[in-house]
This record gives sequence, structure tokens and C-alpha cells, in this order.
Amino acid sequence: MAKILVVDDSSTVRDEVAGFLKKSGLDVATAVDGKDGLSKIKGDPGIKLVLSDINMPNMDGLTMVEKIRGELGNSTVNIIMLTTESSPSMKERGKASGIKGWIVKPFKGDAVLESIKKLAA
Amino acid sequence: MSNNLVSKVLVLDDSQMHTEAIKAFCDNNNLIALKVRKNRLMSVLQSNIDLGAILYSENYGGSARENAEIALKIHTCRPELPIIIRRESQATLDDMPEIIRSAFCAAYVADDMNTLRRVIDEYIFSLVYPNALVRGISEITETVLANQFRELTISWSTPYIVRDRVIFGEVFSLIPLESNWCRGYMMLQTEEEPILDVLGRYSPSDVGTNFRAVNSLLGEITNLIWGSFKNRYIGDATSSSGNQIQVPLVVNHKHKYISFGTENPQLCFLYTLVDEHTGRTVKLYQRFIFNLNWSPEDFREITHDVEEFVDSGELELF
Repeated sequence: MAKILVVDDSSTVRDEVAGFLKKSGLDVATAVDGKDGLSKIKGDPGIKLVLSDINMPNMDGLTMVEKIRGELGNSTVNIIMLTTESSPSMKERGKASGIKGWIVKPFKGDAVLESIKKLAA
Repeated sequence: MSNNLVSKVLVLDDSQMHTEAIKAFCDNNNLIALKVRKNRLMSVLQSNIDLGAILYSENYGGSARENAEIALKIHTCRPELPIIIRRESQATLDDMPEIIRSAFCAAYVADDMNTLRRVIDEYIFSLVYPNALVRGISEITETVLANQFRELTISWSTPYIVRDRVIFGEVFSLIPLESNWCRGYMMLQTEEEPILDVLGRYSPSDVGTNFRAVNSLLGEITNLIWGSFKNRYIGDATSSSGNQIQVPLVVNHKHKYISFGTENPQLCFLYTLVDEHTGRTVKLYQRFIFNLNWSPEDFREITHDVEEFVDSGELELF
């Protein structure tokens, strides 16, 4: 089964999002920041979708996306930012790095579950 | 609910004659007058009641010596609180011995309440907070709390100004706010046990491990409020401060005291979260401390095009 990686420094968010996705029958892994996320993607080719926060310690979410596309050369994994940020410049930076979508927190799982399933397939 | 800022003042004045005048003054100047019995004065001062100032009288406490001793004791205990003394004959501190004078920030006489108004404006309402900001902070925070605690009823009281530095509860979060019109911090303060209680996770044997759940929750609430604040009031603009000056923050755990290195009053909000079924209550104090820059003339609320707007929680596909 395709795996979803949830990257967030807040354990409250990780638990909430990962818990919801697991309950919906999806296979989920978690990472605590961009650095951890990058390393998990590198080590697990089964990850098909990344749901990532932006503001995190050690490595922010947008830098992680740029490294996934650049350093890892992974252009296939789908990436959605799940963040409190909604500034146009950040979205532009995300789009330029090849992210697929943007969700402004708080996460309302039911509203996005079908899209997430499609992107993780 | 009013957005007019208020501040609490402790009135230490025994004069029956002047009591009505002070009450009227407070009502007309957005002040909430609090009284305390003499034998409870120091314990009240050591607790957190978010004061803006103390209105003192030169007759309070009995003899002149006792009066001076009480003032000095208050000043030693809470030097951040301005003590304004009502004098019988003249609105000056000049004739007081220097050691006693140091306890007070200003004097006034009952016949001239304009002096008191000027002092209050100088020491409490010295920073102008745009109404849109004050209203918006309450709205943002209420929305975040309502999303996080769906089973609880959220209410908030009139925002107020404090000069207190005392920390409420055992756990607080801080996040920097950086823009071209403000630089400072938002601080959230709360108590651990009531949160664990409403989360249904309180048990005396597990507090040692469950406190992390409170930390994480408070961190996420802080993050969500910060994000909304940024989207609404800061946008893409970055701080105009080129040299990015910082000052140390000092926390004294023993005295539950935090200093941001400034005498500036702080903008404070109190939210109450109630579980209507059990009566369990959580209090959350939110303070804004603009200690590094405050330029409200550059404040603006960012309007988003309706077409650009996507509801939070919805997925915007690119």
C-alpha cells in the first residue's frame, strides 16, 4: 500500500493528522521536521504523498521540498503543504518547487480525504 | 463585548469623601477599581491579578510612617507597578524624602483629577492599539480555540492593559512577532491541570508524562494564532528593522516573573473555556509585548481577494 508521510514538529498535529489518516485505512509514517522528513523519504520509496508543515526547526518544509526535488532528484512524490501560512509569496515558492497543493490549518480531514487518497494512490 | 481597552487599578485610599470621585474617575477612564483589605494587601500583590497601577493616598495606613512603609513595601514587591499618590495639599513629590519619593511615579490632588488622567495616560494607556488589531486578535484566538476545543464554550473578557510581569499558571509559550509595524512577542499562559482535566487525561500518577501533551497543545494553539495573525496583519512584509536588535528576556521561576527588558505596558486578553456538562474551566491569558518596535501608524489589515481565499482545512490544488 502507498504510504503517506506526515511532517510536523507539533506532536498534537502529527497525532491528529496521522490518526485520522490511519483510521481512514491509509498507511502513515511521521517525521518531526524537514530534516527528518527528507531522511525518511530518502529511505522509503513507498512514500507516495507528503503532508508537511512549513515552520519547523532544523529544516523548514519548503526547504525540504526543494531538497526532495533537487538533492534527491525525486520528482514523483506528491507534496501538500499543511500550514498556518497563506502568503502568496510562500505559495509561489511552493509551486515553483513542484508541490501539488496547500491546506491552511486547522486540518479538516473529511474535506480533503478523497483528494489525499487520489494523490497517495 | 467591548473592544475598548481597560486596566485594573488597586485603590488604596481610605477617604470616604474621595471614594465616589475615584469611582467616577475610573468609570470614565476605562479603569476597573479594585479594593483590598489591608491585611490581605501583600498576598494580593503577590498573586496575579493583572494590575495597571496603584492609586495610593497619603493618609492610607494610619500614621505618616506607616504610610511610607507600606508604599515602600509595595514598591519593593512590585517595582513595575506605578504608584500614584493622592496628596492633600499639593500635586508634587518634591517635598518628600528621597527614599520615600522613589516609591511613587506621580502625585495628584482630589481637586484636580486632570493630573491623574495625564498620569494614567502616560503610565498605562501610553501605547495606542488600533481597534482593528484588538478586535482581530480576539476573533482569531476565539476561532482557533473553538477549533481546538470543540466541546467547550469559549468566552473572552474585555481586553486590558497591564504593567504586571507576573506569570499566570505553570506553562507558557512565547512566539516572536516581526513586521514593519511591530516587533515583540505573543505569550500564552495557562495552568496544566485544568487542560489535562478537559482533555480527560488528568490523573495524579500520570502528570509526570502527560505534561508534554499540554506543552504540545499550547504550542500548536500558539502556532495557529500566530499564523492567522501573520496572514491578517503582516503578510509578506518583513521587519523593517535592518539591524534586528534583540534584548534578553529574563524569567525568574521562583517569583513567577518574566521581564522583556522594557517598561512598556502589555496588551492582555483573557479567554475562558468551559465544559458545560462538567463545569470544568480553563483560563488562557494572552499577552502581546511589543518591546522592540511599536509603530501603530504603519499598521494595516491585509485584505485578500475573495477569489484567492480558500477556507482553512480545504485543499487548494495547484
